[in-house]
Amino acid sequence: MAVGLIRVTAALAVGLSSLGMTAGAEDTAPALSRAPRRLRVGIEGLVSVATDDSGYFNYSSYEKSAMELVRLRMDAALRMGPRAALLAEGRMDNGEGPSLSAAYLRVRPFAGHALDIQAGRIPPVFGAFGRRAYGADNPLIGQPFIYQYLTSLRSDALPASADDLVAMKGSGWASSYPVGSDAWDHGLPLVAADRWDTGLQVRWQGERVTVAAALTQGTQSNPRVSDDNSGKQLLGRLEVRPVLGLVLGASAAQGDYIADSAVEDLPLVSRAASRAQQVFGMDVEFARGHWLLRTEGILSRWFVPPVEQPFVPSPLQAWGGFVEVRRKIRPGLYAAARFDHVGFSSLTASPAEGSETPVVTTWEAPVTRVEVGAGFNLRRNVLLKAILQQNWREGSGFGSDTIVSAQTLFWF
Amino acid sequence: MRRVLLALALSELIATAAAPPAGRPAEAVAATTGAIRGRVEFLREVRPADPRPSITDLGMGDPHAGMADQQVAVVYLEMAPRGAFEERPGPTVVLDQRDETFVPHVLAITTGTTVQFRNSDKTYHNVFSLSRPKRFDLGRYPTGHSKSVRFDRPGIVRVFCEIHSHMSAFILVFAHRHFAVTNAHGDYRIDGLPPGNYTVVVWHPVLAAKSRALRVPDEGGDQELDFDLS
Repeated sequence: MAVGLIRVTAALAVGLSSLGMTAGAEDTAPALSRAPRRLRVGIEGLVSVATDDSGYFNYSSYEKSAMELVRLRMDAALRMGPRAALLAEGRMDNGEGPSLSAAYLRVRPFAGHALDIQAGRIPPVFGAFGRRAYGADNPLIGQPFIYQYLTSLRSDALPASADDLVAMKGSGWASSYPVGSDAWDHGLPLVAADRWDTGLQVRWQGERVTVAAALTQGTQSNPRVSDDNSGKQLLGRLEVRPVLGLVLGASAAQGDYIADSAVEDLPLVSRAASRAQQVFGMDVEFARGHWLLRTEGILSRWFVPPVEQPFVPSPLQAWGGFVEVRRKIRPGLYAAARFDHVGFSSLTASPAEGSETPVVTTWEAPVTRVEVGAGFNLRRNVLLKAILQQNWREGSGFGSDTIVSAQTLFWF
Repeated sequence: MRRVLLALALSELIATAAAPPAGRPAEAVAATTGAIRGRVEFLREVRPADPRPSITDLGMGDPHAGMADQQVAVVYLEMAPRGAFEERPGPTVVLDQRDETFVPHVLAITTGTTVQFRNSDKTYHNVFSLSRPKRFDLGRYPTGHSKSVRFDRPGIVRVFCEIHSHMSAFILVFAHRHFAVTNAHGDYRIDGLPPGNYTVVVWHPVLAAKSRALRVPDEGGDQELDFDLS
């Protein structure tokens, strides 16, 4: 499927690059001509080691954790004229084979207008962290819960009742449900920062305002290369910069997240129900001097088709956010801290054995995290990080853990 | 890697220039002085490096960003006459940040000089250097503001912006005053040299450095010395 994506993007590239080259002749020539170099490559590598994360707090799949990761990334930009470029990212994680995590065409159709179109496997439009999750732009090692923490909800398997959901509470790294796929697999995060979606994106940038919108195959929880249902995701972002150093952002997205394979396993009467994920987000960044403050908040709503009693309330909701601060202490050395929390809406499940009172509880286990750390630039492009992370999970097994982690990061 | 090694080697070279040379130049009496002048010719055009691929951006960056003039070299004496090391009040010079570019791209100063890093852009910049002669981080400051750094140790200081990775500049800090930055035509002139034998070095951020020996005669006068860099 990735090959198919490359073919489509390459075909678009050939057509649109000729447009870019022709129109580019009208551009005002800069004082110095830009290099005619066409291909630019960037390499980034990181190695993270950590003490045991027994509660699976940092996992973005059953096997992968930001805390124990060996990653080699290669970014490439092929310029095809003054206003068109083909960009791609190849990635190797933990010694696995290479994967194409991004491949898209970037075009600026009109000279002198900061309107850009990107098509292919594109960067995330939603929120702010997803576009700076890499390397040095993340001052700590862990990722915010709202962009990584796995809930027990899945896109290819559904709980038949609230009891099924409660049974999986707090085990999002491996859950199983009676409807759809019967395999154990990891659940969905509120927003997946580790994978990029596929589609078409448009951005306009003014001096103080940026507006972006996209139409994609997957959803915020489950970005995809190929669609697994007939619904597309529509998302948008508004960014305002009222004063220098302050960025205010608002994002919203809606798309169908439940795979057709799971819907086919539903009773006929349940198939017409909504299978959408709706996500709303706010983000703020403020920087001044040696301080940098970032905060984001997200509300995610997943609609779940009713199957049997006690019904899963629809939509299921999760809300969370983080506050992150970084302070440079001296040249090449900084300290950083982040506070994270994700909470969940309640449902009513069957009474416990020996009781007649229905159980009212959250559909997932709320989680809280504090992460503190420091980074030291050995060289401009070699960064060492060390962090201490404390996690808490309410009302389930794997209640808490403390993790110490170190990361070496280089790029050129 | 080759560029890094070259920069380190040159850094050492500039540092050693702080030591007064033995022999004739040190004994020279500055009653008669000469000058070395000439032209540095660039046999190949050095273009600004393209920035690293901006894979996470939602669109194109500023097409004019990072367009620093690369056709600039610094010509200096490897070993300077003793009188060149006398203490003088440190001047102040400006290194501007304009269109996401450091202007000038190459700055040559003497020790004791204060450099004002001015932000003339509408965005934040965060100037920093991790170079051994001077480590500093000025933090983020807005349009129209300047922050100053005094350079007291000779060597090459590489300057970057933390926010815009395509921005970079070189500050060459000399312990003596016998150096010159080429103008737009590649011309340079080093004045006030006592008679004696000198080794003249031309340095460029990317192209390989070259050096040549030259003698300023007892009667002084201008000595022509051209270089070509490729």
